[in-house]
Amino acid sequence: MKERIKMIVFVLILGSILTTALVAVNNYTAPIIEKKAIIKTRMSILDALDILYTEDDVDEVFSKYVVPKEYVVPEEKEKKKFYISNTGEIAFEFSGSGVWGPIHGIVALLPDLETIKGIIIIHQEETPGLGGRISDKEYLDKFKEKRIMPELKILRPPDKASMENEVDGITGATLSCNAFAEILNSQLKKYIPLIEESK
Amino acid sequence: MLLRRIFGAEGYKTIKNAIWTDHPIFSMCLGICSALAITNKVDNAIAMGAGVTFVLVATALIISPLRRFIPQRVRIISYMITISSFVIIVDRVLKAFFPAISVKLGPYVGLIITNCIIMGRAEAFFSQNKVPLSLLDAISNGISFSYTLIVVSIIREFLGFGTLLGMKVTPAGWTNWVVMAMAPGAFFLYGIAIWISKTLTEK
Repeated sequence: MKERIKMIVFVLILGSILTTALVAVNNYTAPIIEKKAIIKTRMSILDALDILYTEDDVDEVFSKYVVPKEYVVPEEKEKKKFYISNTGEIAFEFSGSGVWGPIHGIVALLPDLETIKGIIIIHQEETPGLGGRISDKEYLDKFKEKRIMPELKILRPPDKASMENEVDGITGATLSCNAFAEILNSQLKKYIPLIEESK
Repeated sequence: MLLRRIFGAEGYKTIKNAIWTDHPIFSMCLGICSALAITNKVDNAIAMGAGVTFVLVATALIISPLRRFIPQRVRIISYMITISSFVIIVDRVLKAFFPAISVKLGPYVGLIITNCIIMGRAEAFFSQNKVPLSLLDAISNGISFSYTLIVVSIIREFLGFGTLLGMKVTPAGWTNWVVMAMAPGAFFLYGIAIWISKTLTEK
């Protein structure tokens, strides 16, 4: 009996000490992480819209060139945000599930709402070095100027893309590429008409 | 030997065991999961090595002083909560101060918890040795794990992507060995490395 009490007390004490340390670290880092996340979103929006900025003047450039607006999605309660640049291009957030976890990013369209201006991935959990490469700038640059009508296609590599709605996939990352194409197509189809209404 | 003079006979043996005789990856085949997964880019390998080393050292500093107080039947749980707490700290710190690396390593930071090297060292060494020796063992094992990851990632990044730390180092006509960028490439390299190190240590 004494042995058992000793066991419980020990685990409780060790647990409390470590939890306290975790809470302290969390309190210290949470605001920094949150601030970084906001800056990161703004940087991604500017990147997707191809607007130049430096790390110091992100907020300034953002408020100068980009106007945030809201649109309503009927089945969701909260209003979603989209962003219009001073040249009429539109950027908005997309998200969906990849192979291993959620993929979340920003897509920017030209004013005709049928051509991609740029895509940035903010968060993904694909295999580092394989599917993870979908968020590399070199890869996402391939989507520039591609048409999203009737739908975007990611082909199996290497170098087969010839139509203006086709993009080459990544070797060793076919599943991630398919998932990514699926997310883009479904989200674009869903949100573009809604954004057009509230533009 | 310089190392023997600095750390004493016992310390020298600890270092030698960690770096060579009982090398965590080659000799005991521990920690293979993360070693296979993230070694296709050198910067990922460095971050992973540093993360594991930090958690090892921190775990040694908690478990070793407490080794006489940890009740036998809850020792594994004690190691587990200690390790997971420090892994969460590593994860938060990476997110707050090195967001780029945190994004690249993705779920593998959290998976340091399941890295058997840390659990193995806690059970086999930290729970039975004094603090300074445990600390030395933690650092040596961390270095041992890190250098293996870095060497393997240099070969894999070079052959698989034609780059080192993201810089192009191969000539223009270079064809990437895709297999090296994927997990099987790491299996081949570890297989060869384990073969070489077993042959050498047997003599």
